[in-house]
Amino acid sequence: MEANREKYAADLSSIKEAHDRIKPYIHRTPVLTSESLNSISGRSLFFKCECFQKGGAFKFRGACNAVLSLDAEQAAKGVVTHSSGNHAAALSLAAKIQGIPAYIVVPKGAPKCKVDNVIRYGGKVIWSEATMSSREEVASKVLQETGSVLIHPYNDGRIISGQGTIALELLEQIQEIDAIVVPISGGGLISGVALAAKSIKPSIRIIAAEPKGADDAAQSKVAGKIITLPVTNTIADGLRASLGGLTWPVVRDLVDDVVTLEDCEIIEAMKMCYEILKVSVEPSGAIGLAAVLSNSFRNNPSWRDCKNIGIVLSGGNVDLGSLWDSFKSSK
Amino acid sequence: MEANREKYAADISSIKEAHERIKPYIHITPVLTSESLNSISGRSLFFKCECFQKGGAFKFRGACNAVLSLDPEQAAKGVVTHSSGNHAAALALAAKLQGIPAYIVVPKGAPKCKVDNVIRYGGKVIWSESTMSSREEVAAKVLQETGSVLIHPYNDGRIISGQGTIALELLEQIQEMDAIVVPISGGGLISGVALAAKSIKPSIRIIAAEPKGADDAAKSKVAGKIITLPLTKTIADGLRASLGDLTWPVVRDLVDDVITLEDCEIIEAMRMCYEILKVSVEPSGAIGLAAVLSNSFRNNVSWRDCKNIGIVLSGGNVDLGSLWDSFKSSK
Repeated sequence: MEANREKYAADLSSIKEAHDRIKPYIHRTPVLTSESLNSISGRSLFFKCECFQKGGAFKFRGACNAVLSLDAEQAAKGVVTHSSGNHAAALSLAAKIQGIPAYIVVPKGAPKCKVDNVIRYGGKVIWSEATMSSREEVASKVLQETGSVLIHPYNDGRIISGQGTIALELLEQIQEIDAIVVPISGGGLISGVALAAKSIKPSIRIIAAEPKGADDAAQSKVAGKIITLPVTNTIADGLRASLGGLTWPVVRDLVDDVVTLEDCEIIEAMKMCYEILKVSVEPSGAIGLAAVLSNSFRNNPSWRDCKNIGIVLSGGNVDLGSLWDSFKSSK
Repeated sequence: MEANREKYAADISSIKEAHERIKPYIHITPVLTSESLNSISGRSLFFKCECFQKGGAFKFRGACNAVLSLDPEQAAKGVVTHSSGNHAAALALAAKLQGIPAYIVVPKGAPKCKVDNVIRYGGKVIWSESTMSSREEVAAKVLQETGSVLIHPYNDGRIISGQGTIALELLEQIQEMDAIVVPISGGGLISGVALAAKSIKPSIRIIAAEPKGADDAAKSKVAGKIITLPLTKTIADGLRASLGDLTWPVVRDLVDDVITLEDCEIIEAMRMCYEILKVSVEPSGAIGLAAVLSNSFRNNVSWRDCKNIGIVLSGGNVDLGSLWDSFKSSK
C-alpha cells in the first residue's frame, strides 16, 4: 500500500509542515517504557504519552494546526465547533493562544472535566441537547451569528495533519517500532499517524483499538464502506464518533486491523497505566494497551513478528470520581 | 557555601561515577511542564518525574548504585534492608538485575502496593513488627544467617550518590533552573541533589518539603543538630524517617530552607498532579508542588527571584483505594 501515491486529505509533507507550524506551541511528549508491562504483554511497548499534551490530550495538535492555518481575516472572527470532548478544550486553547474567540457548542451530559477545560481555556460554552442534530443546529446558528469558521474535530486535512505529527515524533524517538496501536473514533488520529508512519516506514503495521460498544470502524472495515451506529455504549466517552469522508479512505487502506475491546478490558488497562506506568489516562486513552493485552491480539499470527509496539496514550481527561467508580466495580 | 570543599559522604565525582554506573539500568526520566500550574504558582515549574523510574520511585537509583558497587564475593551473598517503602522494592529490583538475593525486612502495616512491588521484583519478604527496634532486630538476624550486606535506605554514600544523579539529569534537561524543591525524609535524596546541583550551579537554591506531622528536618535545622520525633503522623508514608549522620551535614549546610506542609495541602497537590499534570504520584511524591503553592513559599521574599523551579516528583506508589479516600475526604 503506497501511502504517497493515493490522494488522501493529508500526506507526509502536510504533516511535516504541520509539525513546524505547531512546534512552538505543543509539548513534544515523552515515550515511556515499563519492564513490567513488557513482561505482561510479551512485547517491547513504547507509550507515546499524549495525555501530557497541552489540554490533556492529543487533540491540541490538530486544533493548533487548523487555527494557525487560517488567514488573518478569517481568524479574527473566531472558530466554532461542537464537541463533548477533548477537541472542545483543544480548540479553545489554540484560539486563546492566537488571541481569537472560540465558540464551543457542548452537548448536555459532556464529562465535567472536559467542560471545565473549555472554560479554563477561555472558550465560550453554548449548550445544546445531546443529539447530533441539536449539536449541529446550534453550531450553525453560532456560525451564522458570529461569522466564525467551523473546525471539525477530525474530518479535516489540517486536523489529520496535526495529529500525524505524533508519528513523526514517535518514530524519531524510537526507530525500531514495527507497529503502532492507536485508539479510533472519528479516525483523525489514526489517519494522521498511518499516513506519516507508512510514508517513513512502509512496513510498519497500524492497528486500531476500538470499544466493542462503539465498533463502527471494525464494521466499516468488514463492510468496505462507512457504517454508523444508531447507539453507542462504552465507558470510553472519547471514542463514540463515526468515520468521516476524509478519514474513512485512510482507515480503509492504511489501517491493518481493528481490535475491539470490552469495557472491562479498557478499565483493566487504565488501572495498569495508573499502577504500573504511573500515568493518568482516560478510558479512551488506555484502549491501546487493552488491545495489545487482548487475546485476539496475542493469538493473531499476523502480529507475531511485531516486537516493538508503539501505543498512543491519547488523553488523560477523566473525572476522578467516575474513574474510581470504574475501578471499584471492576474488581 | 562551597559544596566541594567540605568532606561530605558524596560529591560531584561520586555522583557522576554513579550516573555512569547506573545509566544502563535506570530510566532517564522526563521533565514535564504545565502552563496551568505555572499560572497557578506564578513560576515556571519543571517536574522531574521520578515516579516513572523503575520500581515507581527514585530509590532505584541509589539501590542500583549500591548493589553495583559491591565486590562480586560480597554481592553473591546478597543484600538486606528493612524498609516499609520504596527502598525495599528498589533494592529487590536492583538485586534481581544482578542475579543476587535480596532479603527485605518489612514491618507490618507497610502499604500493600509497596510490599507487592518487593514480591514482584523477587525480594524475599521477612516480616517484623512495625517498631524500629523490631525492624533492626530482624534485619540483624537475617544478616547473620545469610552473610548478606545491609544497604541502608539513605544513610550511605553510595545511596546519596545514586540519588544525586537526578540533579545531573535535571540540570542537563533544563539549564535555567534557579531552585530545586525536594521532598525530605532521611535526607538521602536531597543530599545527593544538593551536592550535585550546588557543584554545578553554586547559586542554585535547594528547598526541602516536609510534612508538618513529620517535621524533624525543619526542627533539626532550627536546633542545629539532628532532632528525631517519637511519633510521626502524616499521609506521606514515605517521609517519616529521621536524618542520618551522613545526610544531616549536607542538609545543615546545603539546604536553604525547609517548608512544612499540612496533609490537606499535600493531598491537594496530589490531586493537581493527577488532574492537571496527568501523573500518578503518591503523597510524598506530590509534596514538592504543595511547597511551591504554599503561602509560606509564596510570601517568602528569599524566593522572590526564583523564577524557574525544579520539583522532584519522587514516587508514584500509592494504593488507589487510599488515594481515592484521601480525595473524597478532602473535598
